[in-house]
Amino acid sequence: MSVTQEIETRLRDAFAPRELEVVDDSARHRGHAGYREGGESHFNVTIRAPAFEGMSRIARHRAVHSALGRDLVGRIHALALTIEA
Amino acid sequence: MGAKENIQGTIDGHDVVLFMKGTKMMPQCGFSSRVAGVLNFMGVEYQDVNVLADPEIRQGIKDFSDWPTIPQLYVKGEFVGGCDIVTEMTLSGELDQLFESKGVTYNKDAAEKIREANA
Repeated sequence: MSVTQEIETRLRDAFAPRELEVVDDSARHRGHAGYREGGESHFNVTIRAPAFEGMSRIARHRAVHSALGRDLVGRIHALALTIEA
Repeated sequence: MGAKENIQGTIDGHDVVLFMKGTKMMPQCGFSSRVAGVLNFMGVEYQDVNVLADPEIRQGIKDFSDWPTIPQLYVKGEFVGGCDIVTEMTLSGELDQLFESKGVTYNKDAAEKIREANA
Protein backbone atom coordinates (compact mmCIF):
# COMPACT_ATOMS: atom_id res chain seq x y z
CA MET A 1 0.00 0.00 0.00
CA SER A 2 1.35 3.46 -0.84
CA VAL A 3 1.64 6.06 1.90
CA THR A 4 -1.15 8.02 0.21
CA GLN A 5 -3.45 5.01 0.39
CA GLU A 6 -2.41 4.32 3.96
CA ILE A 7 -3.31 7.87 5.00
CA GLU A 8 -6.63 7.68 3.17
CA THR A 9 -7.56 4.34 4.68
CA ARG A 10 -6.77 5.35 8.25
CA LEU A 11 -8.65 8.65 7.99
CA ARG A 12 -11.69 7.03 6.36
CA ASP A 13 -11.82 4.37 9.04
CA ALA A 14 -11.46 6.88 11.87
CA PHE A 15 -13.72 9.73 10.75
CA ALA A 16 -16.04 8.56 7.92
CA PRO A 17 -15.34 11.90 6.19
CA ARG A 18 -17.76 13.68 3.84
CA GLU A 19 -14.75 14.83 1.90
CA LEU A 20 -11.18 13.58 1.88
CA GLU A 21 -8.34 14.59 -0.35
CA VAL A 22 -4.78 13.34 0.12
CA VAL A 23 -2.25 14.94 -2.20
CA ASP A 24 1.35 13.78 -2.41
CA ASP A 25 3.02 17.15 -2.73
CA SER A 26 6.56 15.76 -2.59
CA ALA A 27 7.60 16.74 -6.11
CA ARG A 28 7.12 20.41 -5.28
CA HIS A 29 9.70 20.00 -2.53
CA ARG A 30 12.37 18.43 -4.73
CA GLY A 31 15.77 19.43 -3.42
CA HIS A 32 14.38 20.64 -0.09
CA ALA A 33 15.07 19.05 3.26
CA GLY A 34 13.23 15.78 3.72
CA TYR A 35 12.70 15.14 0.01
CA ARG A 36 13.23 11.56 -1.10
CA GLU A 37 13.31 10.19 -4.60
CA GLY A 38 9.98 8.54 -5.32
CA GLY A 39 8.00 11.05 -3.29
CA GLU A 40 5.73 10.07 -0.40
CA SER A 41 7.41 12.54 1.93
CA HIS A 42 5.23 15.67 1.76
CA PHE A 43 1.43 15.51 1.92
CA ASN A 44 -1.45 17.96 1.86
CA VAL A 45 -4.58 16.54 3.43
CA THR A 46 -8.03 18.12 3.34
CA ILE A 47 -10.67 16.40 5.41
CA ARG A 48 -14.26 17.32 6.24
CA ALA A 49 -16.08 15.16 8.76
CA PRO A 50 -18.91 15.73 11.25
CA ALA A 51 -16.69 14.04 13.85
CA PHE A 52 -14.71 17.29 14.15
CA GLU A 53 -17.76 19.32 15.19
CA GLY A 54 -17.18 21.21 18.42
CA MET A 55 -13.47 20.44 18.56
CA SER A 56 -10.78 23.11 18.84
CA ARG A 57 -8.19 23.43 16.09
CA ILE A 58 -5.58 21.74 18.22
CA ALA A 59 -7.97 18.91 19.15
CA ARG A 60 -8.78 18.32 15.46
CA HIS A 61 -5.13 18.08 14.55
CA ARG A 62 -4.43 15.80 17.50
CA ALA A 63 -7.30 13.53 16.44
CA VAL A 64 -5.84 13.25 12.92
CA HIS A 65 -2.31 12.64 14.25
CA SER A 66 -3.69 9.95 16.52
CA ALA A 67 -5.68 8.25 13.73
CA LEU A 68 -2.61 8.16 11.51
CA GLY A 69 -0.48 6.79 14.32
CA ARG A 70 2.96 7.68 15.55
CA ASP A 71 4.74 5.39 13.10
CA LEU A 72 3.09 6.76 9.96
CA VAL A 73 3.41 10.38 11.10
CA GLY A 74 7.08 9.70 11.83
CA ARG A 75 7.65 8.46 8.28
CA ILE A 76 6.14 11.57 6.67
CA HIS A 77 8.43 14.56 6.49
CA ALA A 78 5.70 17.16 6.14
CA LEU A 79 1.95 17.01 6.63
CA ALA A 80 -0.20 20.05 5.90
CA LEU A 81 -3.72 19.63 7.29
CA THR A 82 -6.96 21.43 6.50
CA ILE A 83 -9.62 20.06 8.82
CA GLU A 84 -13.28 21.08 8.83
CA ALA A 85 -16.40 19.76 10.47
CA MET B 1 19.28 20.26 32.77
CA GLY B 2 17.07 18.05 30.63
CA ALA B 3 15.37 19.07 27.41
CA LYS B 4 11.98 19.39 29.11
CA GLU B 5 13.25 21.80 31.79
CA ASN B 6 15.17 23.72 29.15
CA ILE B 7 12.02 24.10 27.00
CA GLN B 8 9.88 25.04 30.01
CA GLY B 9 12.44 27.67 30.99
CA THR B 10 12.39 29.22 27.52
CA ILE B 11 8.59 29.29 27.41
CA ASP B 12 8.38 30.77 30.90
CA GLY B 13 11.00 33.38 30.08
CA HIS B 14 9.38 34.83 26.95
CA ASP B 15 5.84 35.88 26.09
CA VAL B 16 6.08 34.49 22.57
CA VAL B 17 8.33 31.59 21.55
CA LEU B 18 8.64 29.93 18.16
CA PHE B 19 10.37 26.56 17.97
CA MET B 20 11.45 26.36 14.36
CA LYS B 21 13.88 24.93 11.83
CA GLY B 22 16.43 27.67 11.31
CA THR B 23 16.23 31.14 12.80
CA LYS B 24 13.75 33.99 12.41
CA MET B 25 16.23 35.73 10.13
CA MET B 26 17.15 32.57 8.22
CA PRO B 27 14.45 29.89 8.33
CA GLN B 28 15.44 26.47 6.96
CA CYS B 29 11.98 25.11 6.16
CA GLY B 30 8.95 26.51 4.36
CA PHE B 31 6.56 25.89 7.24
CA SER B 32 8.85 27.54 9.80
CA SER B 33 9.46 30.35 7.36
CA ARG B 34 5.74 31.04 7.00
CA VAL B 35 5.11 31.35 10.74
CA ALA B 36 8.26 33.41 11.36
CA GLY B 37 7.26 35.59 8.40
CA VAL B 38 3.84 36.29 9.91
CA LEU B 39 5.31 37.19 13.31
CA ASN B 40 8.05 39.33 11.73
CA PHE B 41 5.57 41.15 9.52
CA MET B 42 3.19 41.72 12.44
CA GLY B 43 6.07 43.17 14.45
CA VAL B 44 5.71 40.66 17.27
CA GLU B 45 8.62 40.40 19.65
CA TYR B 46 9.44 36.72 20.04
CA GLN B 47 12.15 34.27 20.93
CA ASP B 48 13.13 31.90 18.14
CA VAL B 49 14.56 28.50 19.02
CA ASN B 50 16.38 26.69 16.21
CA VAL B 51 15.67 22.99 16.77
CA LEU B 52 18.20 22.03 14.10
CA ALA B 53 20.93 23.31 16.42
CA ASP B 54 20.02 20.86 19.19
CA PRO B 55 18.77 17.28 18.59
CA GLU B 56 17.53 17.04 22.20
CA ILE B 57 15.30 20.07 21.75
CA ARG B 58 14.21 18.87 18.31
CA GLN B 59 12.80 15.66 19.80
CA GLY B 60 12.07 17.22 23.19
CA ILE B 61 9.65 19.82 21.88
CA LYS B 62 7.60 17.09 20.15
CA ASP B 63 7.35 15.16 23.41
CA PHE B 64 6.71 18.34 25.41
CA SER B 65 3.56 19.25 23.51
CA ASP B 66 2.69 15.76 22.22
CA TRP B 67 2.75 17.32 18.77
CA PRO B 68 4.71 15.62 16.00
CA THR B 69 5.70 18.58 13.83
CA ILE B 70 7.73 21.79 13.84
CA PRO B 71 7.22 24.79 13.90
CA GLN B 72 5.41 25.19 17.22
CA LEU B 73 4.20 28.53 18.55
CA TYR B 74 3.76 29.28 22.25
CA VAL B 75 2.13 32.41 23.66
CA LYS B 76 2.35 33.09 27.40
CA GLY B 77 3.20 29.48 28.08
CA GLU B 78 0.33 28.10 26.03
CA PHE B 79 0.79 25.98 22.92
CA VAL B 80 -1.04 27.67 20.04
CA GLY B 81 -0.29 25.30 17.16
CA GLY B 82 1.85 24.71 14.11
CA CYS B 83 1.95 26.24 10.66
CA ASP B 84 -1.57 25.25 9.53
CA ILE B 85 -3.23 26.50 12.72
CA VAL B 86 -1.25 29.75 12.90
CA THR B 87 -2.02 30.45 9.23
CA GLU B 88 -5.74 29.83 9.73
CA MET B 89 -5.79 31.96 12.88
CA THR B 90 -3.95 34.79 11.13
CA LEU B 91 -6.46 34.87 8.29
CA SER B 92 -9.51 34.56 10.56
CA GLY B 93 -8.33 37.25 13.00
CA GLU B 94 -8.17 34.78 15.88
CA LEU B 95 -4.43 35.38 16.24
CA ASP B 96 -5.11 39.11 16.76
CA GLN B 97 -7.64 38.20 19.45
CA LEU B 98 -5.18 35.85 21.11
CA PHE B 99 -2.44 38.51 21.20
CA GLU B 100 -4.90 41.08 22.55
CA SER B 101 -6.22 38.78 25.27
CA LYS B 102 -2.67 37.87 26.32
CA GLY B 103 -1.37 41.44 26.20
CA VAL B 104 1.11 40.80 23.37
CA THR B 105 1.96 43.86 21.27
CA TYR B 106 1.50 43.50 17.51
CA ASN B 107 0.80 45.65 14.48
CA LYS B 108 -2.89 45.43 13.63
CA ASP B 109 -2.43 47.20 10.28
CA ALA B 110 0.13 44.58 9.25
CA ALA B 111 -2.29 41.79 10.21
CA GLU B 112 -4.99 43.43 8.07
CA LYS B 113 -2.55 43.67 5.17
CA ILE B 114 -1.89 39.93 5.37
CA ARG B 115 -5.64 39.29 5.30
CA GLU B 116 -6.19 41.67 2.38
CA ALA B 117 -3.41 40.00 0.41
CA ASN B 118 -4.95 36.57 1.01
CA ALA B 119 -8.62 37.49 0.61
